[in-house]
Amino acid sequence: MLLAPDVFRRLCRARDLLQRDPEPDASPSVADVARGAGISPYHFIRQFEAVFGLTPHRLRTRSRLDRARLLLAEGRLSVTDVCMEVGFSSLGSFSDLFARRVGEPPSSYRRRARSMVSVPGRAPRDLFPGCLSLMARLPPSAFRNSGEAAPGSL
Amino acid sequence: MRIKLTSVMVADQARALRFYTEVLGFRKKLDLPVGEYRWITVVSPEGPGDVELALEPGAHPAAKAFQEAMFSDGIPIAAFEVSDVAAEFDRLKKQGVAFTREPTPAGPVTIAILSDTCGNLIQLYQPA
Repeated sequence: MLLAPDVFRRLCRARDLLQRDPEPDASPSVADVARGAGISPYHFIRQFEAVFGLTPHRLRTRSRLDRARLLLAEGRLSVTDVCMEVGFSSLGSFSDLFARRVGEPPSSYRRRARSMVSVPGRAPRDLFPGCLSLMARLPPSAFRNSGEAAPGSL
Repeated sequence: MRIKLTSVMVADQARALRFYTEVLGFRKKLDLPVGEYRWITVVSPEGPGDVELALEPGAHPAAKAFQEAMFSDGIPIAAFEVSDVAAEFDRLKKQGVAFTREPTPAGPVTIAILSDTCGNLIQLYQPA
């Protein structure tokens, strides 16, 4: 699909709204966001998914879980407080969802983050790797074919 | 000093690998687990085979903020050369790819801009 500039802008704005820190009882529904974008919910979800790779609902969930990871890593809030802070009402469903998407329960993620060297109250840098730091943990075979490329080689 | 590796940050490494191989047509070179992330690189089947594009996790909050701002402003984060941008546009549209710009003359090249579904706008360019 080819998106007109105003449609693209509205989809980006919708993404921003869905990722915004939830105000208590005021989190916009997907339908609200679609209406605000001036598009029918059906088309909105289709276009949104084509652009962002996720439905609006899943994007919002991912954003909440990302924020939860950050808060858990900072270590200042309990798991229960983080759960409420990011907009989940049930500790059980938050923990299940977190464990499924992140790969470990929030309590164990928080413990692991706190065990890393860090400035108190800030997330440890090792939790957010960039390309270069990942490279250091690869086996030598990952760079086996490096060195000068033979002329004309594929 | 050699340019052998470049990278784009992606919001989801699994989805990025699928998009960059199954949709864009690159070929996976490496996919190694590294802690909770993966080291994923792709190469072009059109060569050269030793120049890799890494699909790196964009987990750092500052990285995410940068990526989203560029995206919202319509600024592509990477550009790939193609032989026929009109044909690529047709082929990719049929696969459901979202474009923000159809093939458009832009100085010495014709460009098209698409979303990689992982937080980036990608520019395709065909030299005249």
